Amino acid sequence: MTEKNVDVSIPIGPLHPALKEPLRIKLHTEGERVVDAEVELGYMHRGIERILKGKPWNKAVYLAERVCGICSNIHCMTFIETLEKISDVEPTPRAKYLRVIVNELDRIQSHLIANVSYFLGIEHETLAMYMLDVRENSMDALEIVSGNRVHMTWNVLGGVRWDVEDHQLKMILETLDKMEPRVRRYRGMFAHGPLLQLRSKGIGVLSYEDATKVPAVGPVARGSGHPESDWRLRHPTYRDIFDFKAISRKEGDNTARVLIRFDEIFQSMDLIRDAIDNLPEGDIKNRGKVKAGEGFHSGEAPRGELKYFVKTDSAGKIDDITIRTPTRLNLESCVGYMLAGSPSIADAVAIYASIDPCIACTEG
Amino acid sequence: MITDKLKNFVRRKSFHVTYVDTGSCNGCSIEVLATICPRYDIEQYGIFVHHPNPREADVLLITGCVTEQWKTKLKELYDKVPEPKVVVAIGACACSGGIFDQEGKRTHPPLKNFIPVAAEIPGCPPRPSEILDAILGVAPIVFKDYDKKEANK
Repeated sequence: MTEKNVDVSIPIGPLHPALKEPLRIKLHTEGERVVDAEVELGYMHRGIERILKGKPWNKAVYLAERVCGICSNIHCMTFIETLEKISDVEPTPRAKYLRVIVNELDRIQSHLIANVSYFLGIEHETLAMYMLDVRENSMDALEIVSGNRVHMTWNVLGGVRWDVEDHQLKMILETLDKMEPRVRRYRGMFAHGPLLQLRSKGIGVLSYEDATKVPAVGPVARGSGHPESDWRLRHPTYRDIFDFKAISRKEGDNTARVLIRFDEIFQSMDLIRDAIDNLPEGDIKNRGKVKAGEGFHSGEAPRGELKYFVKTDSAGKIDDITIRTPTRLNLESCVGYMLAGSPSIADAVAIYASIDPCIACTEG
Repeated sequence: MITDKLKNFVRRKSFHVTYVDTGSCNGCSIEVLATICPRYDIEQYGIFVHHPNPREADVLLITGCVTEQWKTKLKELYDKVPEPKVVVAIGACACSGGIFDQEGKRTHPPLKNFIPVAAEIPGCPPRPSEILDAILGVAPIVFKDYDKKEANK
């Protein structure tokens, strides 16, 4: 910091009108220009990994799910899939489809709230309220299937918790039909709105090369031209059954990241429709037992790659667990490459909101 | 007194809400955010929730089990809120520690050990309608005849 000419260091947070979660961002500024940025974490550390050690796996599912309240289902799913990988249990075909339905519904609501917080960050409250209203529909769909709005505990070893009836599937399809034209309209409002683009286009640019240095994951990486960062491409169900293709854009700015999330909402809707149309009959659960062993598994959370390392013992207890969440990487790319060099302090909050940070995930 | 009546009337239907996350999983936070959506629409009751600022708050919504960093800061935060004030604890974590109150924890639940709590909403997470109900239920009771109560103390 000594060689750079820093005028003022402006702290944002830990409690700030623009932040949803407590953390401190320090902006070192030279006039209006941000020269460097730092981030200070530690306000949300609950020690989940420490609590998890020594817990039986069926108790640990509930804790793994509560790492994050926004992308709750993917934590549950990745944890269970890691255990399935360790103990050679395969979910039934119907369970695979049902997992995809709930996972994509969860992704829709997470992407919607990510864009809501971006629009609140650039103070476009109207669009934010429109999208919060649409989000309630997707929460209804989740509640129809799983019985809860946020923490669903949908995945169990070898399958899903319970079966979904035909009338519930019909209600999901109706909800999606209701949502899609509205979300399309809001995407158009964002993509063609001159004032919205003034705050978004060319701001917070993360170049193709910089995205590989951290590396960035999820919509942040895909906004900088890295379609391969989507881990659904490597997930057996998505890869083999749904023939999944990832979306990417080249600009790397706030617009790209927000539009990627909009486009992924439509992609998720198509995946859900596809899954419901081809839903096979049969059991929803395979019987199995957790064996001793250790293994890595990655899943695609709404924010990017989520990685679990789990080591179990023969009694089915968790010996060791490490969770690497996507915001850990995205926060670094945000602070190191997007915020540093940003032309204005006023854009700092918008840039921070555009990476869809989830501090509760990061600190665990 | 006419000023008391006026104050009661104004305080019944106009307050600022600040939400503070002291180490939750975000589940409660997004349910608080969901209360501002057009379906629940907290603003139709005269509650302002958009930009949390403790210095102009009347109601503090606190989520989460108290983490190490918040242990000392909670009292400071509470002192910054002008009188009269109400603290509402949201979610199982704030009420009792919930799932995080286990062996090996790095948290210090419950919230009421640190600051006085007027209402607790259990649930993991509670529904937006329950949060709305609690704010509307508890705040007017505390704010009613506040100046008289203070004088009698």
